[in-house]
Amino acid sequence: MTPEEMQAAIEALQGLSNTNLEIFYYWCTAIMILIHAGFLMYEMGASRVKHSLASGTKNVLAFAFMIPTFYMFGWLIYLSFWQGFTYDPVWGEFGLPMSAIMGPNMADQATGVFWGAFTLFACTTASILSGAVIERIRMASFVVLAVILGSVVWNLAASWGWHPAGWLVTNYGYHDAVASGVVHTISGFFALGVLINLGPRIGKFNADGSANQIRGHSLPMTITGLMLIVVGFFGFIGACVLYNYGVGGGWTNIYGGPTTLSAYLFNTLMAVAGGIIGCYACTRDPFWMMSGALCGVISAAAGLDLWYPPLAFAIAFAGGYLGPWAAGQLEKMGIDDAVGAVAVHGVCGVWGLLAVGIFLGGYPGFSSWDGFDVPSINMTGQVIGAAVMVATGFIPGYVLSWIFNKLGILRAGDGVQRDGMDSELEGVAYPEEIRSQ
Amino acid sequence: MFNSSPITSWEGAEAIFSYADSPLGMAVCFWIMTAMLIVPLVVSYKAEEQAEIDHQ
Repeated sequence: MTPEEMQAAIEALQGLSNTNLEIFYYWCTAIMILIHAGFLMYEMGASRVKHSLASGTKNVLAFAFMIPTFYMFGWLIYLSFWQGFTYDPVWGEFGLPMSAIMGPNMADQATGVFWGAFTLFACTTASILSGAVIERIRMASFVVLAVILGSVVWNLAASWGWHPAGWLVTNYGYHDAVASGVVHTISGFFALGVLINLGPRIGKFNADGSANQIRGHSLPMTITGLMLIVVGFFGFIGACVLYNYGVGGGWTNIYGGPTTLSAYLFNTLMAVAGGIIGCYACTRDPFWMMSGALCGVISAAAGLDLWYPPLAFAIAFAGGYLGPWAAGQLEKMGIDDAVGAVAVHGVCGVWGLLAVGIFLGGYPGFSSWDGFDVPSINMTGQVIGAAVMVATGFIPGYVLSWIFNKLGILRAGDGVQRDGMDSELEGVAYPEEIRSQ
Repeated sequence: MFNSSPITSWEGAEAIFSYADSPLGMAVCFWIMTAMLIVPLVVSYKAEEQAEIDHQ
């Protein structure tokens, strides 16, 4: 083979590799849409009949609003704020909506699929908020809050802690491979901030402060939706790995550290199982048993690239106990979180970050960007990262919802809540003989 | 807190999972997982026994 033929063969292989990677991320993104199909079923099932269509409509609208707003400014924020609140114009240029690569471009097979995957991460954050606030939030205000969470807040946190040059990573050795913090903690605590101002559903709490259990109209729909979310997680996790990005080529985590898809599959399956079994042992409640899958995956997500699989199981099992316990504590504090989103995503997300600090200390740090001496994984970095995630989620959620509440545009009136949020929409969910209690 | 890393450098790394260089660490994790599988079954048996009594 002549040198020219060799070069041509290498270029052909490179082109094939790029095409295969484009296919990989394309289908990861498509599978991630199952997360939203799952959240849609989960929330509608967890709503009473008279609110079920409104819950579904709210979820779908958040999904739809997230896509153009993430195109307008979400991707730009992720790419350019890795130093903190300082804009990096060099990287920012790649995320500007008028950039040559933010559309069909024969010289770029990467931007579209990565933008798509990150957009779906943003949609996930909105869905997490969506479940917590069902049956009483006003539609337009919810959409605005979801856009702020999904297209501004989480991607700012991701730029800090889920980026090879993010300041949390390069200064403190923060490790969050599959987004326990930057997606789940952020969204869970944003939801908590909103819930404090939104208040509980009518009838949730008695005058003496004791809580009533408000059952959704279809637990089977909710459980099936949760299983769909688990399926979608495999797309989510696939989109959290990169190829040919770090030392020696091959798959890498989001920071450029070497990994394999096998590592993620071992530990994701173990975490799903651990969370389900832990929640079942703790509650024997079908709703929480299936929510346990989320508790488990979120608890193990930050270290999915590094756990010994039985350790991933144990951490997820502990998350399966922690989620329902945290939900009970929030209820005692007068917080009405209809689906346990704060406990499952927020609290288990924090547990996941701390578990990395407890059990994964000492792993060498890595950044695919030159010029950074990244510290090893350590407890201090994880605690700082967890505190940043809690604050970055909670503060904007609380402040914005406080403003909306003062303007009188956050909470639906008591009459609409009593008649059902569906009364504001066209159409009915079920034949009229099926009624909510 | 627990330094579970079997590596000090990513160059040439193979088994990178936590406690990969510690048979004791792996055994502890393995038996904890085993216990976590047994305990829920015991809890379930007890609850079912109670349900049998309650519904007689």
